[in-house]
Parts: sequence; structure tokens; C-alpha cells
Amino acid sequence: MSNIEMPLVLFSVLSQTAVGLVIINAGRNWAAEGPVGISRSQWGIVLAFLITGMIASFFHLGHPLQAFTTLKHLSKAWLSWELLGITLFLCLALIGFFTGKDKKKSPVVFLAALVGLLTLVFMGMTYAPPGYPALNNALPLVFFLLTALLLGTSFSAWFTPAEKRPLLFRILTVSLIVGLVVYLLVPCIWLSGGTVTMQTAWSWLSSPLYWGRVGIGLLLPLILLWRLKDIPLWLPVIILIGELLGRAAFFKETVHAAANIGGLY
Amino acid sequence: MKKLYGFFIDTEKCIGCFTCAMACKNQYHQPETVIWRQVYPISEEIYPYLERAFYSLACNHCENPTCLNVCPVKAYYKREDGVVVHEQEKCIGCGNCIRSCPYGAPRYNPEQKKAEKCSFCWQRIDAGLKPQCVQSCPVEALQIIDLETFDRPDAVQYPPGFPKQPKLNPSVRFVLPRLPKVIGREDI
Repeated sequence: MSNIEMPLVLFSVLSQTAVGLVIINAGRNWAAEGPVGISRSQWGIVLAFLITGMIASFFHLGHPLQAFTTLKHLSKAWLSWELLGITLFLCLALIGFFTGKDKKKSPVVFLAALVGLLTLVFMGMTYAPPGYPALNNALPLVFFLLTALLLGTSFSAWFTPAEKRPLLFRILTVSLIVGLVVYLLVPCIWLSGGTVTMQTAWSWLSSPLYWGRVGIGLLLPLILLWRLKDIPLWLPVIILIGELLGRAAFFKETVHAAANIGGLY
Repeated sequence: MKKLYGFFIDTEKCIGCFTCAMACKNQYHQPETVIWRQVYPISEEIYPYLERAFYSLACNHCENPTCLNVCPVKAYYKREDGVVVHEQEKCIGCGNCIRSCPYGAPRYNPEQKKAEKCSFCWQRIDAGLKPQCVQSCPVEALQIIDLETFDRPDAVQYPPGFPKQPKLNPSVRFVLPRLPKVIGREDI
């Protein structure tokens, strides 16, 4: 992909953050006993991420006022499903926000988590086109799930009292280690692929965006967690910066199949 | 019997003159950065001779076009004769077809903020004429074929240097360039 596609970077990372927050909270609600539903302020931050991402996505379209027509091809296009999923998720988040005055368990959070998870699958399918051999597989979905897990877990720390953070700390540490392994291994595996996949590997490995993603988004938070033994409130921002860099690399550094026409594949 | 149109590229005849690409530009007057037909030189890894060979490529009007499948606003449709048509008035410029096509056929028009691609000159086809690129080729290296009746044993669908996408099944056939005759000292 030849340019950073900043609107898509913001849309995908911020909407996945919102989905991750809801999934993590749904998991905590399911595991805990008593009235521990997610509060209005948490729904508020979910909506803030989601709406900011959706507004950003309009700047990616040549004709944003016709964005509603993207629901027309649900029979075949994953992008139509992605838009349907994100719209349903937005509706559920709004319902959660306006009905979430008291902290009681609500089916809305579980429904929103399910819809959010399905939306991640639709996003994973949308960004796995035949035009990009390195991504024409399950990798986009893996990247998107990792983004939702890392940012969902870390931003949940904002709404978790210190005595209940050790579980989040363990989830975040394991997620960062898994993310680090995945992001370091993937380009190495691509090196054994076809010409375009190999070109993608070298493009990623020589990109400051990729190394910024690994360093700022994964290694630095791991070191900070190891030293601080807690999730400081500013850590999610560092992880978010790393994710944005990684998504920019995803769009900018991946090589299109047509780039090598006339050469060996 | 209904026809199923495709392009035929005889790389043995193609001299890489770009007349096909220029004819396309002259017909449709696309902006500078928008190219519907492109002439790609075949790399020396594939054809390691001083003489060069080329692929003249545009949209391949695939049997199962990925552009049509991924377009969220149904801006593409496939005609009965196999031609994949992009209806620009429906396009919202999301770029999904541009990212998805492994042949790089749809291009972004920055003036209209929409995608566009080779139309196979379907208006000319309907009028009984050849596509402008085919019409202009001075060495008849670029032709249109009916895939229902095309039967040339030396033609291939996926030559080296052309992405192999069996699921898409591009409606294009190639004849590969022959190896040049190498004259050694013993031949003199």
C-alpha cells in the first residue's frame, strides 16, 4: 500500500480500542459476582473512541455523504458487513451509555461484546484482499484482535481500582508478550514466501514505523510493566501510539501484487 | 452462442511501443496519474536476452472479479459477454477495489474522487468495433478473443511475471516470447 491511509489507521485502531474495552469489561462482568456492570463513564470513553474513529473514516472516502450506501452489498462485500457491524456496535454503545446509570449487570455489554467481536472478524476479512499476498490470510484478523486486546486491557485500567488491577496487569503482560512474538515472527515468516511477500517483509523490516511499533508499542510497555509492577494511567497512551505506528506500517509498507508485474512471483 | 470476451496478448509480436496505452488515453482522456492500460517490461530474470519483451495489461475482466465482490456499493457489474463494467456514478471512492485487485486494474481518479478502470470499450463493442487499444496496435499483438471458442494450444493464462489467481480466473491469454536465435562461433 503506497500511502499511510491515516483516516483508515485512526478508524481501525480507535474502533478496535472501543471493541476491546467492551470485550474486556464483558469478560470481567461475566467472571465477577454482584453488581459490577460497566459504568456510564466507561461507555462514554467507548463512544468517544468509536465516534472519533468513525468521523476519521469519512475522510478516507471520496464522497463521504454517500457513506450510507455501503450497506448495499451485504451479499458479498465484507466492507458492507464491517459497516453494519460497527453501526450496530455504535447503537449498542449508545444504549449502554443512556441506560448505564447504575452498575448492574446488563445484557447490553454482552451483546455489544459479541457484535464487536464479529465486527473484528469482518474487518479482518475486509483487509485481507488478494491484492496483498502477505495479508491475504488470517493475519489482519490476528493483528486486529491483538490491538483490541492490548488497548482494551490497558484502557480498562482507567476504570479499575488499584486493588483489582493485578488481573489486568497479568492479561496485559501476556498480551504484550504474545504481540511481541507475533510482530517479530511475521516478517521472518514472510521472508520465506513468494517474491511480493518477501518484498513486504523487507519493507516492514526496514521501516521506522514497524520498529516504532515494536519498540514503543510492545517493548517499552513491557519494560515499564516489569519495573512498575502496575499499569500507570499514562501507559495506555504509549500503547496507543505504538498501535497507530503499527497500523500505519500495515497500510504503508505492505507491497501490492501488481507492484511486481513482469517480474518473478 | 453467447460470447465471452477476453484480451489476447502475443508477447512475441509486442514491440513495447505503448501505442495501446496512448490510444486508451486518447479515447478517454483520463487524468495524468490514471492509467487504464499499461505496458510492463518482462524482467531479465524471466527473459534474459538483449531483446526485450512486454505485457500490455489492463483490466482482465475476470470471471469472478474481486473488484465486483468487494465493492460495498455495487458499482460494478458483469455483462453477459464477460465485460466487467464500473458504474462511476455509484462509486463513493472508498478504494476497496483498488486495494483488492491483484492486477492493479482499478485506479483512483483524484479529480472525480472515484475509482475507474478499463471498460473494454463496451460502447465500441456494442457498435461492432474493436476496443481502442486493440484497434491501435500496429503489430496486432493485442487482440480480443471469444474465450468460448478460443483454442490456441500455445496460449497460456498465467505466464511468468503475471499474478496467478485461479479463483478470479482472469479473461486474458498470452503467447510467450520465443527464445531469440543465438548465433555462436560454430554457426558462422
